[in-house]
Amino acid sequence: MRPFDLSRTLSRGGIMAILVAYTVFATFPFLWVGTMSLRTTTEIAYNHYAWPDPFHWAKFRTAWIDSAFSTYFANSATVVIGSVAVITLVGAAAAHCLARYRFPGNRLIYFILFSSIILPPQIVLIAIYQTLVEYNLYDTLWGLGLVYVSLQLPLTIYLLEGFFARIPQDLFDAAKVDGYGDFEIFFRLVLPVGMPAIATTVILNFILLWNEFLFAIVLISDDELRTLPVGIQQFMGDHFQDIGMIATGVMISVIPVIVVYAFFSEKLIQGMTAGALK
Amino acid sequence: MPDSPLTGIIATNAGATGSIANRPPTWRRLLPPTLFQSGTGGDTSGASWLVLLLFLGPALLVFATMTAYPMVRTVYDSFYTIDDPDKPQFIGLANYAQLVTDATFWRAVANTLIWSVAAPLLDVGIGLLLALCLYAKVPFTRFLRVAWFTPVLLSYVVVAIVWLWIYNYDWGIVNLGLRAVGLGFLASAWLGNPHIALASLIFIDVWKWAGFNMVVCLAALHSLPSEVLEAAELDNCGWGAKLRFVIVPLLRPTLLNLYILAFVAKMKVFDLVWIMTQGGPLWSTETVSTYVYKRAFAWNTFDLGYPATIASVWFAVVILTVLLLNRILRARDRVEF
Repeated sequence: MRPFDLSRTLSRGGIMAILVAYTVFATFPFLWVGTMSLRTTTEIAYNHYAWPDPFHWAKFRTAWIDSAFSTYFANSATVVIGSVAVITLVGAAAAHCLARYRFPGNRLIYFILFSSIILPPQIVLIAIYQTLVEYNLYDTLWGLGLVYVSLQLPLTIYLLEGFFARIPQDLFDAAKVDGYGDFEIFFRLVLPVGMPAIATTVILNFILLWNEFLFAIVLISDDELRTLPVGIQQFMGDHFQDIGMIATGVMISVIPVIVVYAFFSEKLIQGMTAGALK
Repeated sequence: MPDSPLTGIIATNAGATGSIANRPPTWRRLLPPTLFQSGTGGDTSGASWLVLLLFLGPALLVFATMTAYPMVRTVYDSFYTIDDPDKPQFIGLANYAQLVTDATFWRAVANTLIWSVAAPLLDVGIGLLLALCLYAKVPFTRFLRVAWFTPVLLSYVVVAIVWLWIYNYDWGIVNLGLRAVGLGFLASAWLGNPHIALASLIFIDVWKWAGFNMVVCLAALHSLPSEVLEAAELDNCGWGAKLRFVIVPLLRPTLLNLYILAFVAKMKVFDLVWIMTQGGPLWSTETVSTYVYKRAFAWNTFDLGYPATIASVWFAVVILTVLLLNRILRARDRVEF
């Protein structure tokens, strides 16, 4: 027997060991918070690594009603859903325009939008703060939503442009023969045909904005208007010892993401990695 | 991206190179030739400007007001002291002079650069190894792929809170584990010790992003021509050699792309640091982003001019680094292929 086969068996075993170890490593922190979210702080202090017994589902009710998590959740939902809707419509229109029409400056605009994806956010942070203060949009969900639109628009246009450009020109020619105008083509041809790509960007933008922290902490100061990430951070600052309740808050903020992921895991993975794969 | 899934920077430069006879003038050759094309779309009929404006206008308006204008304004602010937002005082280059001697700023730059260089190496390296494990046709590939990707989806706030507990000195799993196997002397205040705090944070960052790199590497592996790998197999090529002489060279473009994306993303790192250490202890985890934030919004000395200076300088550094990386890596590609 050649040593090659032995090493092959060993490497097979090694790979399985790595797989199991990494799976535990990648998922343990989240599962741990999951168990803590259903245990009281007293129970947790007694043993940090025990299965919930009994399951304190009422903690979610407490966090939702007695703490401000329902407010934070509503704020997050309002800002994120509103800005994702605007991003999708505005981004799809711009992407269609750049993908389908020839006009001088087309590629220049594309390049400028595309380059702005790499901008570090702190370059605009201070000036956006000043501008929003001047236009009375500071400390409003409108202002934050507007910033969110501008944050995700370039990436959305980039991803959609790539997809729209691959729609066969024949479809457009046929639509023109049928007497479709420019806007009918957009709403009745590009949007339906491009739906897979649009869905990907919607899910992607939803997750990224749901998790956004920097602008949320700078542009919102009223506790009533805070979004979930900042709300949790503040809650942790105020109730540092109350690990059980912090864990419940964390789970409340994560559940929408997990629900989306459970249904659209392939689409989401595809969207997040689309840029890197070209 | 925050660390967000950014897009391939390399892609923009991949333009058509014209024949020597009709080369554009010199200044144009410095820029990617594709910039001067009027689009690749099939609609050559020339739509009216009104139509174009209605499609493109809203996006351009958002870009102009919320990205381009703030960028210009930040650079403009950097020449002023703005302690009273209504009365900025022009001070010329004084902010820049102050920046040169600001030890905290340089500490932040050093930390951010360490982070940007080291973390992507680990991200991409671990991602590639994980992808190879899944590529070796193990059971449950689909499940593992989804499970490993989960950390990417969690917000930095959530990640930071959980890892604060994981690193807890008394009952965190890291120290408990070390004590359980008799290595109790290694148990540390992972975030309280200035010598290891930065490494502790980078470790979390790698934990979060390795799954992302794994997915991209796996997709790239699946798109490799299977004949090449089979040929290596026939040549009795071991895993190490196969990795080194076949897989890595073939995946080179993807790996470089991932590295640059991660590099740029790490230059922005803020959330994780702000929630876990606020740049401490003793500035050992201060990054440029947290320092800008501190100087602008969290210090008692309210002045927006100085943080704007830091932001402007950092903006220039990011742009130059990206251009440089792109240049170096692409130049090497051209030589090799």
